[in-house]
Amino acid sequence: MLDISNVTRRFGSTTAVKSVDLTIPAGQMVGVIGASGAGKSTLLRMINRLVVPSEGSILFNDTKVSSLSGQALRNWQRDCAMIFQQFNLVPRLDVLTNVLLGRLNHRSTVSSVLNLFTREERAMAIAALERLDISRTALQRAGTLSGGQQQRVAIARALMQEPKVILADEPIASLDPRNAQVVMQSLRDINQSDGITVITNLHTLDTARTYCERIIGMAAGEVVFDGGPDDLTEAAARRIYGADGLEEAFSESVTFTSFAAGKPKVRPTAPPEIAIAIAGA
Amino acid sequence: MERHWRQLNNTRRLYTILGLIGLAFALTASLWFANETNAGKFIDRLPHLFDFVGDMIPRDAFELWRALFDLESPYYDGSFQYDYPVGRVYIWGAFYVPEYLYKMMETLNIAVLATFVGFSFGFMLCFLAAKNLTRSRWLRFAVRRFMEVLRAFPEIVIAGFFLAIFSLGPIPAIIAVAIHSIGALGKMYFEVVENADMKPDEGLRAAGGNWIERVWFGIVPQVMPNFISYFLLRLEINVRASTIIGAVGGGGIGETLRLSISRGHEAKTLAIILLLFVTIICVDQFSAWLRKRIVGNQAFEFGP
Repeated sequence: MLDISNVTRRFGSTTAVKSVDLTIPAGQMVGVIGASGAGKSTLLRMINRLVVPSEGSILFNDTKVSSLSGQALRNWQRDCAMIFQQFNLVPRLDVLTNVLLGRLNHRSTVSSVLNLFTREERAMAIAALERLDISRTALQRAGTLSGGQQQRVAIARALMQEPKVILADEPIASLDPRNAQVVMQSLRDINQSDGITVITNLHTLDTARTYCERIIGMAAGEVVFDGGPDDLTEAAARRIYGADGLEEAFSESVTFTSFAAGKPKVRPTAPPEIAIAIAGA
Repeated sequence: MERHWRQLNNTRRLYTILGLIGLAFALTASLWFANETNAGKFIDRLPHLFDFVGDMIPRDAFELWRALFDLESPYYDGSFQYDYPVGRVYIWGAFYVPEYLYKMMETLNIAVLATFVGFSFGFMLCFLAAKNLTRSRWLRFAVRRFMEVLRAFPEIVIAGFFLAIFSLGPIPAIIAVAIHSIGALGKMYFEVVENADMKPDEGLRAAGGNWIERVWFGIVPQVMPNFISYFLLRLEINVRASTIIGAVGGGGIGETLRLSISRGHEAKTLAIILLLFVTIICVDQFSAWLRKRIVGNQAFEFGP
């Protein structure tokens, strides 16, 4: 369980996040929505501790995440994988090595630097790539892949960390509709079949409604909405995006993510070959 | 208005003329000073320039090749000037390496070894000097000043210092060139590192990688092509530097050249100059080729 209490972050004179209180139970799929500059990214980066909170505390199962340092901090970052809008892979390294880099915190620095990854780890990496249906690209340089493929490599790397939480910071903002859909479905699949908590920042309302069981709306650094997708009325959306921004939030439904996926009444289960891949890992 | 403009213009013109006079005066004074402090008077010695060129002409065109490959000369009269085979370096039986090629190899060896040492230490230090990787301002400051000190002195000054300690030979030359290379490469390298794309680093940080892992996997792959490019450029510079150091006692071809010039051995001097010329062109061409081969068009391409 992730417990965020009274967290504030200031950058100079601007306050990016204003005393946010949230409790996120394990295994939930949460969408954080809001206009640009609402503080969504800062909130996620504080959870992973890429950014240190100015005030308040973040707790994960009795560990005070907000005051960790050194090896303890890196262990938390291992447990709390992060996916970025720009993928943040190493473009000059091949895909398999990029995925193996998710293991860094599980191993000694010397063996990592010498590229001494074990057979089990390589098998695990290939299983992760297979699960995301991109194992064919394993030996290509990551920089040569398309955006959608790179984002799936990033998700595979996150899986290699064996995380308890996955944070996704605008994972589909620079992808085309088709790839956006694939990425969102993979995140939902990971959430449902592995029970990993997924917190994802989304720019658009529709995507959040389609994939997330809980939606948090932020505006000007504060949480202005917290509820299920069905509670997200037009009035609530107006509170999140402001009267002018509402149009923009809806217009992005052209991304098709909601369109094609629909609203599943029955949660899909992992196909058998994926289940084998997981068992093999 | 008109008067004011003319006034301004006159002032400007006056300053220009005063400046030119001052410059001419300074130039004349410094030339006079240089001539006064010179051992022989420049004007008096000028005609001897042509004497020197005349002395450099060998007795026949083949003398140059005989000197270069240590072959026997028909002009051999027992004097050292025409005794080319004496310099042969026998490797195995009758097989020998000509003296100057051997000395050239010594010089190249100094350059290559020193560049490798410079690369290794420059590589290790540059990440500590880069703003985007080292948070501690004091550590950064210390490393940067340290590298500045290393590159502040020309190789020849450092060589003079180490020659006094280790006596004549290539070891002090290697140390001198290496020290200068650490400072020079370290500076180039940390500037490359500061221009690197930090997104891969952020990704690894978010995955719990420590500093060394982040540097090795996030930064090194993108800066390596530039590092190699600068390494090869440094190698070219160091070949020249180690030749010069040879002339002050650091061994290698430079030393042989200086001795040969001062003794007035025309064929030997020409042979050495030819060899130097060809070697330096070859090294430059080779390094340009290798740079293109390894780095390709991606030398200054960062990120995806």
